[in-house]
Parts: sequence; C-alpha cells; structure tokens
Amino acid sequence: MKLYNKHIVIVLLLWVISSFFMRLVAQTESKVLLLTQQKVFEAREQITLEFQTSENALLYCHSSYGNALVYPNLELGKGFYCLPEFLSEKKGSIDFDLIAQGEKWYSGSIQIINSTQETILESYIGPPSISAGTHDFTMMTVIPTDEYDNPLADGTKATIKHHFLETITNESVETKDFIFWKTIFSRESSGRLLVSANINEISSKEFSIEVFPAQPTNFTIDYTRKHHYADGNQITTFTTSVINDAYGNIISDGTLVEVVIKNAKGGILKAQGSTIKGIANIEVLHPDAPEIWEASAYVSGMATSNAITLEYHSITDQLSVVFSKQNRKITVGPLKSFMKQLVPDGVVVKLHILKNGVLLDTEVATSNKGMVTFVLHKGFYESGTYSFQLEALGIIKTYSNIEL
Amino acid sequence: MSMKKSKRTYRFILLIVFALVNALMLFGIGQIFSYFNTGADRSSILHTNLPDAKVYLPKVTWEDTINPGRPIEKTTLARITSHYLQSWYVKQVAYATNDPFGIEDFYTKSARVNLINHIEEQQQKNIRVASTSLQHNLSLDFYSLDGQMAVISDRNASQYQQIYKEDTLLFETKINPSYKAVLLLEDGFWKIRHLVKEVPQELATQDKLKESGFAEVKGQQLLVDNTPFIMRGINYYPQETPWDMFGDHFDLNVIEKDFKIIKNKGLNTIRIFVGYEDFGKAEVDPRKLKKLKEVLDQAELMHLKVIVTLFDFYGNYEVLDWTLTHRHSEQIITSFKSHPAILAWDIKNEPNLDFKSRGKTNVMAWLKEMILQVKKYDPNHLVTIGWSTIESATLLSSEVDLVSFHYYEDLAFFEEKYVKLKSEIDKPIVLQEFGISSNKGIWNPFAPSEATQARYHSSFSKMINTHEIHSMPWTLYDFTQVPSEVVGSLPWRKQKQKHFGFIDKKGNPKKAFTFLGL
Repeated sequence: MKLYNKHIVIVLLLWVISSFFMRLVAQTESKVLLLTQQKVFEAREQITLEFQTSENALLYCHSSYGNALVYPNLELGKGFYCLPEFLSEKKGSIDFDLIAQGEKWYSGSIQIINSTQETILESYIGPPSISAGTHDFTMMTVIPTDEYDNPLADGTKATIKHHFLETITNESVETKDFIFWKTIFSRESSGRLLVSANINEISSKEFSIEVFPAQPTNFTIDYTRKHHYADGNQITTFTTSVINDAYGNIISDGTLVEVVIKNAKGGILKAQGSTIKGIANIEVLHPDAPEIWEASAYVSGMATSNAITLEYHSITDQLSVVFSKQNRKITVGPLKSFMKQLVPDGVVVKLHILKNGVLLDTEVATSNKGMVTFVLHKGFYESGTYSFQLEALGIIKTYSNIEL
Repeated sequence: MSMKKSKRTYRFILLIVFALVNALMLFGIGQIFSYFNTGADRSSILHTNLPDAKVYLPKVTWEDTINPGRPIEKTTLARITSHYLQSWYVKQVAYATNDPFGIEDFYTKSARVNLINHIEEQQQKNIRVASTSLQHNLSLDFYSLDGQMAVISDRNASQYQQIYKEDTLLFETKINPSYKAVLLLEDGFWKIRHLVKEVPQELATQDKLKESGFAEVKGQQLLVDNTPFIMRGINYYPQETPWDMFGDHFDLNVIEKDFKIIKNKGLNTIRIFVGYEDFGKAEVDPRKLKKLKEVLDQAELMHLKVIVTLFDFYGNYEVLDWTLTHRHSEQIITSFKSHPAILAWDIKNEPNLDFKSRGKTNVMAWLKEMILQVKKYDPNHLVTIGWSTIESATLLSSEVDLVSFHYYEDLAFFEEKYVKLKSEIDKPIVLQEFGISSNKGIWNPFAPSEATQARYHSSFSKMINTHEIHSMPWTLYDFTQVPSEVVGSLPWRKQKQKHFGFIDKKGNPKKAFTFLGL
C-alpha cells in the first residue's frame, strides 16, 4: 500500500515537472521552432538557420560589428535563413530574434569561432631600443588571426624566439585576450637583439631591437698642449679616458662630454665634445694672459671626471709704448713672445681712457704684425690732461697726466 | 554715328570683361595663397589637441585597470575611454545614416571593412538602425609596454536600437552584449582593431535598496511616513520669475513667503520645474543645483512635499541624444536621491504633446528608458509622468509609481473620466494640473471672469473631496511675463496663460483663492 502511494507521488511529481517544462517551452516556442541544432560554427562554414514556420518572418541578427536582417526561403513549412558571409565569417556570438509583426517570436544565439585553416601573425614590438643591464626590457605583442581576420581562441600555443650575441632563446606562450606577448630583458652587454614569433609553422616578421650601452660611469681626463704659454693662439686638448657603462660596455658614440674650466678669477669656461669609441677630445684655445685653470669634465647628469689644474705663463713681461702727435697717437709694440718672436696677429690690447679719475672710454684693438695703434681724435677727446691704462698679454701699464 | 556708338559699347564691354577677369584672377590667386597659408599645424596632424565634443555620453565605469602589460596613465585611460566611446558614436551615426563618415578615425583599415559591409547591406535592403549605447562597464585586459596597444573588455554594454525599413519602424530592442576589443594607437587615435562580441556573463545586478522614510505606494494608496497621504498641492512658480525659477533673480525670501501662503492654505505639496537647458544640459551647473537644494530645504522646513518636474523645455528625444539626457538626470538625481522633501520625480511635463513632432516611438522609448535611469540612481523617490490629457494617463502606467495627468477640458466630463481611469489603474492617480484662466477684459469679453474661475475651483474642490483626489491646480500667481517658449508668441495665448493664478498681479487674492485647498 505504501509503495503504491509512493508511486502515485512520483507520478504526480513528474506530471507537475513536465507540465512546468511544457509551459516553458510553450511560452518561448509557441509559434516557431528552431530546427538547426548546431550552436557553434567555424568562421568558414556557411550558416543556414532552419525554422519550422510558414510565416515570412524576419531574422534579426546582432553580431560583433552591427546588425543584419535576413529574409527566409520558405519551403514546405520551413524557413531557411542563410546568414550573409560578413556575419558568418566574423568571430563572436550572434544573437538572433525572429521578428514578425513587430514581435519577437523566437530568440536565440549562436557562436562563431575562428577558422583553424590559416594563421596570420600581426606583430608589434616596442620600445625599439633599450639599454644594457638587467633592468630594461622590450615587449613583443602579437595578434594572431585566421584568414578572416578573426583573433584566435585563447590558449593557442605560440613561441617567441629571440637571438642575442650567438644565443637563441625560445619561449612558449599562450594567447590570452586575443594576443600573446613576452617581455624581453636586455643583457649586460650591448648589441642587437632579433625577435620573432611563431604559431606552428607560421612565422611573424623579424624585429631588431638595439640594446644600447647603459649610462656612463665616472672617468678621468688629461690634457695635451704644445707649450705652457698664454699666447691666445695655441690649443690645449682635453682627452677623456674610455668612458664605459656599469657593465663595461663602451658608451654610445656621440655622447656629449662637457669640460668646465674655472679660471683664476672664478669665471667659468665651457667646451663640449662628443665621444667616439668612448673617448671625447675637447679643444680649448690658450688664454692670452697668465692663467691657472681648474678643469673637470661631465656627461651631464650621469658621470663626472677628476679635476686637473693647468697653468699658463706670460709670454713676455714687456710692453713698449710710444706716444706721438701731441700724445694723440699711441703705438704699442712690437709685441714679442717667449722666443722674442712677434706675437701672432690678433692679440687683444685694451686702452682705458680716464680724465680726472673718471673712465671715459675703453678702446679695444687687435695686433697686426705685433703692432697696435690707437689714435685719439680731437673731436672725441678735447685737449686736457688724461690718464691712460694699457692692458695686453696680462700686463697693465698706466700713464698719468698726459697732455693732449 | 551708330558705328561710333557700337564701337564705344564694345570698348566698354571689353573693359568691363577685362576688369572682371582680372578681379577673378586676383581672387583665385588670393584663394590659393590663403589655402597654402592655413591648415595643418602639428597638433592637428597628430590629433593631439582634439577637443572632446560633448555629443555622446553613455555611462562609463572602469571596473578594473590592473593588467599584466604595464600600469596605465590616467591621461591615456581618459583618451582610450573617449576614443572608444567615439568609435561607438561614429558607428551608430553610420548605421543611422548609412554613411561611413568618421569611421576611418576610430577603426583601423582592416576593422573598417566589417562596418562598411554592414552599411552596404543596409543600403541595399533600405534599412537603417537608430541606436545608442547606454552603459559601458570597461576593464583593461592589456596595455602594451610601448603604449600602442590596449585590449579592453566591455561587459554587458547596454544598447537600445530601433530598426527601420524604408523609414517605417520594424521593431525596437534593448540588448546587453559583452565585447572584447583590441585597440591600436594610430595617428593619435585609439582605433578599434578587433571587436568581438562575447557570450555575456550574467552578473547578479544588485538593485539598490530603498531607504526607509520615503513615500511609498500601496495599490491606489500613497503613503508618507507610513500613513495615507492625500496630495493637496499647487503648481508653483514665483510671481516675478515664471518659467525661470532658478535664474539670476532667484530669491529664497520670495519663495519662503510664497511657501507660507501655500502652507497657510492647508496645502501639503508643490510642483516645481527644472529646465533641461537652464540646468546646463549634460553638464549640470552646480550653482543651479545649489538653488534647487535651497528650495527643497525650505520646503522640508515647512513640511511641504515637492514634485520635481525634470526636462522642462527638452524636446529632442533622438536616440543619439539619450546619453546626454541621462547624464543630466544622473547629476540632478544623485544629488537629491536622499532628500526628504521630494515626493516624486516627474520625468517630463506633457510629453505626449511631442508625439506628433518627435514621433511617438522615440518619445515613449526615451521616457521608458529615463524611468529606468532615474530608478537606477534613486531607489527612494517615486516616479511619475505628467501627461497632458486624462486619455494619455494610461501610457506607461505600469512603469511609473504615480499616474499623473492634466485636465483643462470641460468640467462636466471630469468625474466620469476620472472614475473610469481609477477603475483601470491600480496606482495612485494625481490630477497634476487643472485650472482656468480669468482673462476676461476689453480684448476678450467672452473669456471667463474671476467669478467664473472661482466657481470652477469651487466645483472642482467638491469633486476632489468626494473622490479624495490627489490634486494640484495651476497655478499660485497671475504672471506679468510669459516666455514665448511656453505657449508660443501669439499675444492672446500669452495673455491667457497670465491669468491662471489664485493671486493677481498686484498680490491680492482673487475670488478663487477662497477655494484653494478647500
């Protein structure tokens, strides 16, 4: 008896459940029925959705890029909806509604996955140059697609290869979020890094990444000069040692090195040169008066050198001056150098003209064949008592109470 | 003689032609010269300095920007957001007009093909799609080291579409698909390289819970503080600034005095209006919000409930304009979602009057979506729509909390129509506007007088009391100025609109004042 009751309960339960499901089905599929069972299609397949309907209902499809309306071919109480190629070739889910008289009669969705026929690798790399060491890196990103430009499924196996100084490294990666990627770190030495990617037999193009030397480290400087005289003519050359980065790579050619010279009066002189094979030569004209220079070199913000001291001696201690034409013509010279030879042309001579202790004017002239002449015209300088101060090659001579 | 004359004529014509040709040439050279002297500066070539036009503002939330590639900078994220939205905008414009204008800027060459395919198909079948996206829930899956590539996910991107064939609407639909997109930085634009619609992950959306202490609806009953509440209100504008309540002449003292008058008449509710353009369209002016808050605070102080009518003077309803109105309502509604004085948000005043000029489909779809938007940002307050006739009141009645209508027709038929409506709708029904203009004068001798107006309100108050109708007459004051936007610029219409009040232009109670609140 008990068993009998149980059966009744089970049968009743089944009836309730089935009627519930029947109702669900009846609600959604009362007017039409989708006969196509396949839910997942590959991008290359032609998709025809088959409905059991005799209505000339529209199929509204919503895909990745937009909408499309499909009209049926009606045959024997069935409607065949052939999706256009631009829908069936694009990856993604397509939601569709069967629309008749402004109402949705049936809603569903299908999934289109990428074709597995062909693979195309679209690869990007950046940054295109990195610095040596172990901290800098570049990144290769690849968007693999099929022949219909659909990104491949997540989890597709791929390889990224890179070549650096005789070493070839293969690294396996998987696609995720439509792409696969790898960061490639630089090594301690500079050089060229070659990168490429593969999926099965399909290869990407080759990329090359320049691994530049890292930042320069401190270095030393030295100087060469033909003599130690302050002749304002010869050149002193400052030369750096070979500048390396922290890993022993010679820094890149063309790195700018700046020599900063502090002279005896505390003034700053600057000169620049760029490196070739790690060495920079920087040339500076000798001063035209005795000087003591303290020089050091910099790669701005990165490296510095030792400081060196250079001394320049006077080429003469004599300055012969002749006043003529009522003292209105002042002839300086001949200016002679350390071997009693005439100084090269262009030595600067300054004449300060003072009256009653007030500086009226400073005239500047350069030597020609050892001689410099100043003429004080009446129009500019009225007759009277003047003082003069002559300055050349570090020598200063003063003449007071000169009547013009 | 005639020979000489014609010679002179020829000479004259030749001279004129010569002068014209010269002028034309100079003009041409000038044009060429100015052409080569204008245009492409570097910032325009590189698109670094494009102003963000506020034409399309769906709600965007970044759910996650942590990605394995590299941390993203705020400016880049803003640019990606802006360009991704613009990619949607140009796509939607293209599908609505079947013209691929602008597609080039936001889709790469290979992605563009797909859109062109759709456009060509639509052209062929004479179909166009008016659509807009409403919300984008974005997360950044990948951002490349060199800052040139990004992969983003757009979860449940809510979209509304109207599909037209030969300009007749086939159907409308609302969908929430998810997308994954690869974007590449090209020519200063983040362009879509791949866009793939994914199977949406249904996430349980948490409905915001209604806080306690706000008005509720139970069947046909309106409850405030858990007790039945009969709305006895009035449509309110200050006398000096009708239809410009929150303008430069905003004066809280005036409003306070008016509220006292309203309160003393035993009224418990007012209805005020927020202009769409007045409040700053998509970018709501905080100064206007401040004024609105002052009004609401004052109402709360005096125990008056407020129905705030939004989108006054708005009339576009175009699908692509939706997002702007959504941002407008979002800013206003989130500011006041917990304000105790507000009884209900009135989405729009008399939207059914726009059916003819703007299309019923568009207006109805806009209203329907706007109700959802308002409820999304404010679960506390009730929502209604002030339909202009009692016949329209059934529209969207299942979406609103209060069913509101205006009645300016013959008094005699009111009771019958009201009883019929009440039997059809199981929600509180609000007679949101009614009244009569006492504009009798020299120019209009047959118009109702103040006495007629008093009789009208007297008989209306009887009906209101018999049926316990939630009611708000139009309006407290007679006005001296009525803007042309309200009833048009025809003087007899303006004149009529000036005399609906219970208090005349001089501030004296009119005869109908006795029946206010009775």
